[in-house]
Amino acid sequence: MEKANQKTSQSKNSRQKIRVNITDLIDTVIFLAVIIVAWQTIFWLKFYPAFLFPSPSTTLNTFVRLIQTGILPVAIYTTGYRLVAGFALVMILGIAVGVVMVKFKRFGRTMASFSLGLQAFPSIAWVPFAILIIGLNDYGILFVIVMSSAFSVMLSTYSGFRNIPPIYMKAARNMGARRFSLLLGVMFPAAMPSLMTGIRQAWSFSWHALIGAEILMASVGLGAILYFGSEFVRMDQIMASMITIFVIGLVVDKLLFFRLEQRVRSKWGLAS
Amino acid sequence: MNLREYMGSIGTKSILQISKLEKSYLGNNGDGQRTLPVLNDINLEVGEGEFLTVIGPSGCGKTTLLNIIAGLEGYDSGDVVLTGHSVPSSGQDIVMIFQEDALFPWLNVQENVEFGLKQRHVSKEVRKKTAEQYIKMVGLTSFAGSFLHQLSGGMKQRVAIARGLALNPRILLMDEPFGALDAKNRDILQRQIQEIHGQTKKTIIFVTHDVREAVCLGDRVVLLTHTPTRIKRQFVIDRPRPRRSEDPALRGLTNAVLRDLKEEGDFGESEPENITE
Repeated sequence: MEKANQKTSQSKNSRQKIRVNITDLIDTVIFLAVIIVAWQTIFWLKFYPAFLFPSPSTTLNTFVRLIQTGILPVAIYTTGYRLVAGFALVMILGIAVGVVMVKFKRFGRTMASFSLGLQAFPSIAWVPFAILIIGLNDYGILFVIVMSSAFSVMLSTYSGFRNIPPIYMKAARNMGARRFSLLLGVMFPAAMPSLMTGIRQAWSFSWHALIGAEILMASVGLGAILYFGSEFVRMDQIMASMITIFVIGLVVDKLLFFRLEQRVRSKWGLAS
Repeated sequence: MNLREYMGSIGTKSILQISKLEKSYLGNNGDGQRTLPVLNDINLEVGEGEFLTVIGPSGCGKTTLLNIIAGLEGYDSGDVVLTGHSVPSSGQDIVMIFQEDALFPWLNVQENVEFGLKQRHVSKEVRKKTAEQYIKMVGLTSFAGSFLHQLSGGMKQRVAIARGLALNPRILLMDEPFGALDAKNRDILQRQIQEIHGQTKKTIIFVTHDVREAVCLGDRVVLLTHTPTRIKRQFVIDRPRPRRSEDPALRGLTNAVLRDLKEEGDFGESEPENITE
């Protein structure tokens, strides 16, 4: 009987979910329409000259042209490649140092308070340092990404591991889990909710840092389009690039990180 | 049957011998460190297939005793021997079921029960079959794919029992496993653990602070004293199974255990009106 109840409540949930998604979609469309109408109105009122404040249709034209000439696709590819490489480095370094911090307690304590300061440090402030030490290249940009967000992953690994309820470790050892199976089969999954929060924050920091670094350090990429747009007073290009940056950020967060986090949370039965 | 006859009957199929076990903790009583003796000369023999319940006043070192048997904690002196091996030799011969919720929330019921088998590198098919068998034994087949937050407290403890049994341990240790459950669930589980004991013939050492539970479940009840803990007295519960904790036939024995426990200044979990009967 309990099973039956569970089933009906589940199907009701999924039906509700679909309905909620449809209303969400309608709300989003209305919201976008309002923004575009407001944009068009400001354009008509001619507060600014047309080259400084292009209309939505001009921006759309530029957008299409940037895609056709291959400028935007190359920029998206380059920026995406830097993001994936940088974020992979962030994850590897963050988790590795986090695990070392758990293992060596005194190092962990010192590093934890030190990196709280570094976590709040503006990533853009690393750019001059990176330019002089590494140079105006992809490695310099990767360095800025790592410095911006490895600390989030590190600290969440550290706190996630330290807050594992001892009873899990006791039970796992009693059932014969040792070393690697304990690390991979118990400690990592047990630390996952905390780790996911850190990973999602790190993704957001990485994205900020990457675009910032590209404006100052790159000749190709979405950030670089922003820089050249301001140098050559091409507001339509700036707008097109900004919209692309916004959409990529939204899509990656909603479709990847938010979903991953939700999956962990629903498994654990944590409030979402 | 008196205790001597009873012990004689388990003599040849003894599975665990504890002799002269001593354990103390380093404590702090305000003016510096000192040792606090917890276990003092514990001598206990457990027979193969026996359902042994251990009861004592709260804070008397019941859990410490179980932890030592499970190899989760060391001891100062004495011997703890599992027919031939000295404990701790291999943890999996002895599996512990905890009072707290020790199931893994990132795994579903089936995966939780398979966890210990996975540590032993048991093949996937065998793992699946074994887990299904024990999940069925505790009556949770339709919840095999559920996650823990979808289960009640009683169901979780049934999963924990299945997880312990799946490892086919020689001894199953249970540390107040029903302590956090409501009366109805405790009743169901008390019946179920007796059925499981009947089916599997597992040796079970069951710690509780509920006298009625101890008498209801145990073939023998071991009553511990306050710290430093010794064995105060043992009771043979020679009654047919399955038993129910409210069974009037158990009342006399329950009161006998309660009287001795009362001398240790602890009434256990049972309501005081039971004592005056």
